[in-house]
Amino acid sequence: MRSLEIPGQEIHIEIDNPIPRRKKRNTNLADAEPIVLMSVLSSLHAGYFRISLSLCSQALLWKIMVHLHSEIPSAAFHFLWYLALVTQVSLCFMYAFKCVFFFDLVKEEFVHYIGVNYLYAPSISCLLLLQSAPMIKPHSVLYQTLFWIFTVPILTLDTKLYGQWFTTEKRFLSIMANPASQISVIANLVAARGASEMGWKECALCFFSLGMVHYLVIFVTLYQRLPGGNNFPTTLRPVFFLFFAAPATASLAWNSISGTFDILAKMLFFLSLFIFISLVCRPNLVKKSIKRFNVAWWAYSFPITFLALDSVQYAQEVKDHFASGLMFIFSSMSVLIFLGVMLLTAANSKRLLRRDPVLWSATAPKDK
Amino acid sequence: MEEKTLNYVIQVEEELPTLLRRVTTEEMVGFDNYNENNLLFTHPISRFHPSHASTPTSNGQEVSRSSIESMEDHHNYNESHDKETLPWTHQRKPSISMPTSPNILMISDPTTSLSSDNNISGSTGKSVKFLSQPMAKVSSLYIETGNDEHDHDRRRHDNHHHQQHHQSGQFQNQNPAMHKLKDNRYNSFKTWSGKLERQFTRKPASVEPEAPNRDKQNMNTNEAMPVDRYYDALEGPELETLRPQEEIVLPNDKKWPFLLRYPISTFGMCLGVSSQAIMWKTLATAEPTKFLHVPLWINMGLWFISVALILTIAAIYLLKIILYFEAVRREYYHPIRINFFFAPFISLLFLALGVPPSIMTDLPQFLWYLLMFPFICLELKIYGQWMSGGQRRLSRVANPTNHLSVVGNFVGALLGASMGLREGPIFFYAVGMAHYLVLFVTLYQRLPTNETLPKELHPVFFLFVAAPSVASMAWAKITGSFDYGSKVCYFIAIFLYFSLAVRINFFRGIKFSLSWWAYTFPMTGAAIATIRYATVVKSSMTQFMCVILCAIATLVVFALLVTTIIHAFVLRELFPNDLAIAISNRPRPKQNSQHRWLDQLRNVSSENIENYLKFTDSNSSQSNDLEAANGKTQESDSA
Repeated sequence: MRSLEIPGQEIHIEIDNPIPRRKKRNTNLADAEPIVLMSVLSSLHAGYFRISLSLCSQALLWKIMVHLHSEIPSAAFHFLWYLALVTQVSLCFMYAFKCVFFFDLVKEEFVHYIGVNYLYAPSISCLLLLQSAPMIKPHSVLYQTLFWIFTVPILTLDTKLYGQWFTTEKRFLSIMANPASQISVIANLVAARGASEMGWKECALCFFSLGMVHYLVIFVTLYQRLPGGNNFPTTLRPVFFLFFAAPATASLAWNSISGTFDILAKMLFFLSLFIFISLVCRPNLVKKSIKRFNVAWWAYSFPITFLALDSVQYAQEVKDHFASGLMFIFSSMSVLIFLGVMLLTAANSKRLLRRDPVLWSATAPKDK
Repeated sequence: MEEKTLNYVIQVEEELPTLLRRVTTEEMVGFDNYNENNLLFTHPISRFHPSHASTPTSNGQEVSRSSIESMEDHHNYNESHDKETLPWTHQRKPSISMPTSPNILMISDPTTSLSSDNNISGSTGKSVKFLSQPMAKVSSLYIETGNDEHDHDRRRHDNHHHQQHHQSGQFQNQNPAMHKLKDNRYNSFKTWSGKLERQFTRKPASVEPEAPNRDKQNMNTNEAMPVDRYYDALEGPELETLRPQEEIVLPNDKKWPFLLRYPISTFGMCLGVSSQAIMWKTLATAEPTKFLHVPLWINMGLWFISVALILTIAAIYLLKIILYFEAVRREYYHPIRINFFFAPFISLLFLALGVPPSIMTDLPQFLWYLLMFPFICLELKIYGQWMSGGQRRLSRVANPTNHLSVVGNFVGALLGASMGLREGPIFFYAVGMAHYLVLFVTLYQRLPTNETLPKELHPVFFLFVAAPSVASMAWAKITGSFDYGSKVCYFIAIFLYFSLAVRINFFRGIKFSLSWWAYTFPMTGAAIATIRYATVVKSSMTQFMCVILCAIATLVVFALLVTTIIHAFVLRELFPNDLAIAISNRPRPKQNSQHRWLDQLRNVSSENIENYLKFTDSNSSQSNDLEAANGKTQESDSA
């Protein structure tokens, strides 16, 4: 059955000549041979949406920076935003094609305990794009419609995942908890921010509390590192950066809800800062995963971007040198890492498309 | 009886190195000299059977030597003694055939340490094994040999089995080097073990052979002991009691050097006294207790006492770090004691909080940064360990003493806020709150993977009260008023306090230790929080509670002081041997193997002995040589 299928697929791959272009800029995929398309589609998984996440969060950062410091040319921001838009649209289309042609692969991803979290990623990227859009005003109808379109998948996934944590025996939180679970929390918090931008405070508060309550549970569970939880693959160590992305996003959301960077937002920002320093002081944690390039490396970029966003808001509230210093450090770090990962992706574009056996893939056993 | 039957010599040596050869020849003669050995053994001081001198036995074998060295034996002494004291060496070898005294365990293991009774030393045929085995195996030999075990069983001295790896001790009564005995045994714990002694060595040549062993010593000391070792070897709410059948690497029948007996939990005393100073200051200056007319000199007196105490204790501990770094390292890796490393810094924070108003009213802000800097470094390390998993993850090591790691954040926030700082206190409050939440949930869960929570109540449970009470005060200072957040924390603290206080009966009958001082500061903290609460909620009930809680805190501290004085001067056991840091790094032998060996020996007949002797040289690359030998013996029996 399955064992019979696999060789079949592999033969496919051996015959092709993968086109060495960065998938992101791959606008003429339709021109390529169908076989190449198939192989590309089969190796695509939701983790690739990290790329669009990083791009969109960068766009948001640049938007806010441009808003605050008018000396930064807004042309760069516009370019970035359009780039992010294009990437997101193409990735979405490709993933849609994958759902059509390789539905069982998508189903496997859905069932995998790490992979399912990345199904939030397209919605998060779209929401971020929406929030950073230069031309759409927050109170317009277009914004509201798009907001709901992007938030409905988040809500459905929430109901499915969070309900499973304490009802479905095979998927109890103590077994399924892993650092990637924080993406669901981030999704709720980004939705909260979007809602409050629109002026819908109650809706924003609802998303915020949903995110925070589950964040509490995940935080405690992950800190305990219960034995018996699945082991997290080493190549996915960059995902550890999500530990400080979640409180940073919470801080941003609360800042947006309450209007000022008040004490709760500050506390969340400081928590995020502390965890960041703690992770950075432990290079051993990520050493193993740095050996080979992997699409998981994009997971380094967007948490730092969220932290940078947060530090920008913090510096706005607390106008002293320390805060401005933090803002400068994190923003530059974020831009540098983003550019670095982008260059590395361009350099390793072949590897990007190859199905990575180490990284969980849809056909890999769940208990990896 | 049994003892007699067990007194078979199982020794076979065929060593090689020159020194050994000499010995072996004499060994033959040695059988005759057994009685002499006995005499020596029965010498009250002769705890160390010369045959324990590992040097002669394995002598040639660096492997065996190094195995002995693995405990950082003072090798040169052995060798020097060997060379000098031939008669001793060959006595060592005695693979004593028949014990004449019940004390002597005939099974001398050249590499083993003495039992607490010290009389036994057996050299087993294992020495042969030494030849072929790598060091690790050889050292496992120490543990896995059933010899020591049933030897100890026979002894029934105490439940603790020691392995004396430091053979040099043997010479104690026999050599003029007796005065150096203590040094040798504690060498593994000294920072510069042996370097000073080597200078006094009579035989400069003996330094040479030591060189290869030195590396092995370093190897062992550089490895961190895995946390599982601590859990396996120790028990009790503070992980201080040695489990039965565990061996320690230092002798337990002697009083160790003072510094080795000086645990880090002594800093708990600073915590207790300095928090009292803060309480009396608050009592004197706060609104609700003005009616008591408490004089300020109490605070001043207590403050100066705590300053003196901190300086003394810190100085002594600094000496310990300098002189016995290995012991400090072992304390650092101890899952409970690590939390006490926060205690000195928390005490300094308390000192800053309790400074008498007449001395200084406004502390400079850089002082806060200075005090919190070591805190943040230590925190990054410890919390990172919790999060990154591995053997020290929180689900494994969570215990009530972890509250000490967390409460420091709140104390720092309180101090910073009272100094007028704004952002820094919020930072520490946030970090402390997040980690407190995780710790609280984990402790409440009483996870099955977590063994350290005591089944019976112990004063350490009072630490539960510490974090919420200090958090409430810190939040009040940060926000400027004792609002809802502070009140919630305060009520949690009071609830925990009362639920523990009504179970006071369960606290009886627990062995006193200096760390109990650390458990008094939560009571003091709760009392101070009550005073702050009473400042906001003015009623006679709250005032009454203030007085009661302060009285309880003072009484407890006073009682503890009396107990400490009694233990220090009357019972003279304020600093007992700190067994928790002396556990050996090897797993203890399995029960079944011991019993097998025991049974084997019970049934031993002369044929068996011969078989054993025959088969001891056959070799095995197995780790458990004794078992292999037994197995073969059994085979031969059955055959």
